[in-house]
Amino acid sequence: MTAAIQTEGLTKRYGARVAVDGLSLTVARGEVFGLLGPNGAGKTTTIAMLLGLVAPSAGRASLLGHELGRGPSLALRQVGAMIESPALYPYLSGYDNLRVLARAGGLPEARVPQVIQTVGLAERAHDKARAYSQGMRQRLAIAAALLPDPELIILDEPTNGLDPAGTVEIRDLIRDLAAGGRTILLCSHMLHEVEQLCGRVAILKEGRLIAQGAVDELLRRDSGIRLRVEGDPGRAIALIRELPWVHAVRAEGGLLLIDAPAARVAELNGYLARNEVAVAEIGARERSLESFFLEVTGDR
Amino acid sequence: MIADLSNLIAAEWLKLSRRPLAWGLLAAFLGLMLLYLSTWALIVALHEGALSGGITRFEVLSDVQIAELKRQLSFPGVFGAVLGQVNSTGGICAIILAAGFLGSDYSWGTLRILLIRAPHRGAYLLAKLVTLLLGLLSAIALALLIGVLLAMVCAATLGLPMQLAARDLLALPLGVARALFVMLPYVMLTMASAILGRSVLAGVGGGLIFLTLDISAGSINTLGDVNPLVRLLVNLLLQPNINTLVVLNGQLFGLDQSVLASSLDLSQLPSPMQATLVVAAGAAAAAPDGLGTP
Repeated sequence: MTAAIQTEGLTKRYGARVAVDGLSLTVARGEVFGLLGPNGAGKTTTIAMLLGLVAPSAGRASLLGHELGRGPSLALRQVGAMIESPALYPYLSGYDNLRVLARAGGLPEARVPQVIQTVGLAERAHDKARAYSQGMRQRLAIAAALLPDPELIILDEPTNGLDPAGTVEIRDLIRDLAAGGRTILLCSHMLHEVEQLCGRVAILKEGRLIAQGAVDELLRRDSGIRLRVEGDPGRAIALIRELPWVHAVRAEGGLLLIDAPAARVAELNGYLARNEVAVAEIGARERSLESFFLEVTGDR
Repeated sequence: MIADLSNLIAAEWLKLSRRPLAWGLLAAFLGLMLLYLSTWALIVALHEGALSGGITRFEVLSDVQIAELKRQLSFPGVFGAVLGQVNSTGGICAIILAAGFLGSDYSWGTLRILLIRAPHRGAYLLAKLVTLLLGLLSAIALALLIGVLLAMVCAATLGLPMQLAARDLLALPLGVARALFVMLPYVMLTMASAILGRSVLAGVGGGLIFLTLDISAGSINTLGDVNPLVRLLVNLLLQPNINTLVVLNGQLFGLDQSVLASSLDLSQLPSPMQATLVVAAGAAAAAPDGLGTP
């Protein structure tokens, strides 16, 4: 089966500035994929290229097996997208906003009440969009993305500006959409949310791909070992430093944080036991996507 | 392509028909047109002494001018008067409407969403233009209807003739088409400005600046009296050619604009063929050639 999204050397230059630099990415069908990066990393430009809104300077990309630039409309018929802040006609009701998009795309208007129901906007569907709260605007934008009953959904900052309750609701909605077997490309600054929703992520910095893989693997990679010993930790530190595969050890709040492969936890435990150091607690150091992100993007 | 275009026109029509700006501009245009024609009716009434039972007459205009006003207030001249208003006040309203109609899709960011659903940009632009012209056509139809009602009131109150020949009705499509055609260069340039500046303000600014410059250029018409070569060059400007088409529209319904506008020298205006070609070329030159980055 072809990938939902595939890019090879995708590049966008604006004069001398390179917004996206040789991006090669594969998003499999049915997965929830996170596209992360600091502001100005090239996420939105990447999405704009995938949606045919911006022409790439070099490289190639395909959506659902359709090569971009060679009939993007075919691919885009099966794609729903929400880019940056929700875009809507303030003088139209939420319902009519969706009717406009349904008509423009040649979609049956019968889809409108269905997607309104899906995003939970039915009660306010006939209010003017200008009267909507930020959360309702986000929901309407997601409803617009769902109109074509898409196989691939691209969501750029879907929880931007939402309060915690709204964030949870949108997160649940995305989870439901993913459970239905759709492919979702999620761009978000809310790394906690990405960690909960996405199976795989890619991290961009200054237009370049600096990390890509399954969230679990990325967080395990070079995550280190966490250790608590009974009594004076000084001897344990000295012993641990003798091991050739340990890069560094530091004490932090009663814990020893060891810069070493997490896969060597059992080996370390045995080594300490043989040297009569009583281990109170040992395990792979848990790392959040946020701390991983800050490390790889060099912001910490 | 045709199916895509009709889908887009349906979407654009929904947007236009629900837009308060469109209704506000329509109300403003019809109100100003009614005010203009009512003023003419009042002047005729005062001249005839209709308000004082023939006792007191205010003769501010000559009999020839009053006769022209009467033609504007009765059939079929009222059609010419209404279409004349379409090409003056209506032109400004059309510029504001065109700017709002295209520019706000940039300002609100909705263009991106539309282009994802219907990615053929040429079809999108064409749909915008067709919908805008349909909107203007509807406004002209409404204005003509109000003109008809006013002519009936004037016939009843001022004793103006109320005869409508079939040939006058048959001339209406040509008059309406010509009135729309005259607005085309301004609408096109407004759309191009809105795209260039990616906003409503840029569209309104571009359209009105063009309109002002064009009217100013028209005022140097007298330079044409210097010699025939200068006359030829002046007549290549848009304004004298538009004047030709507007005058033709008046004549189509028996009016003679030069009676009320003494500065209008009909003998110096370009030929109808030249006027049509220059206005068409102006519209084509001003037409936007793309949407830019949404």
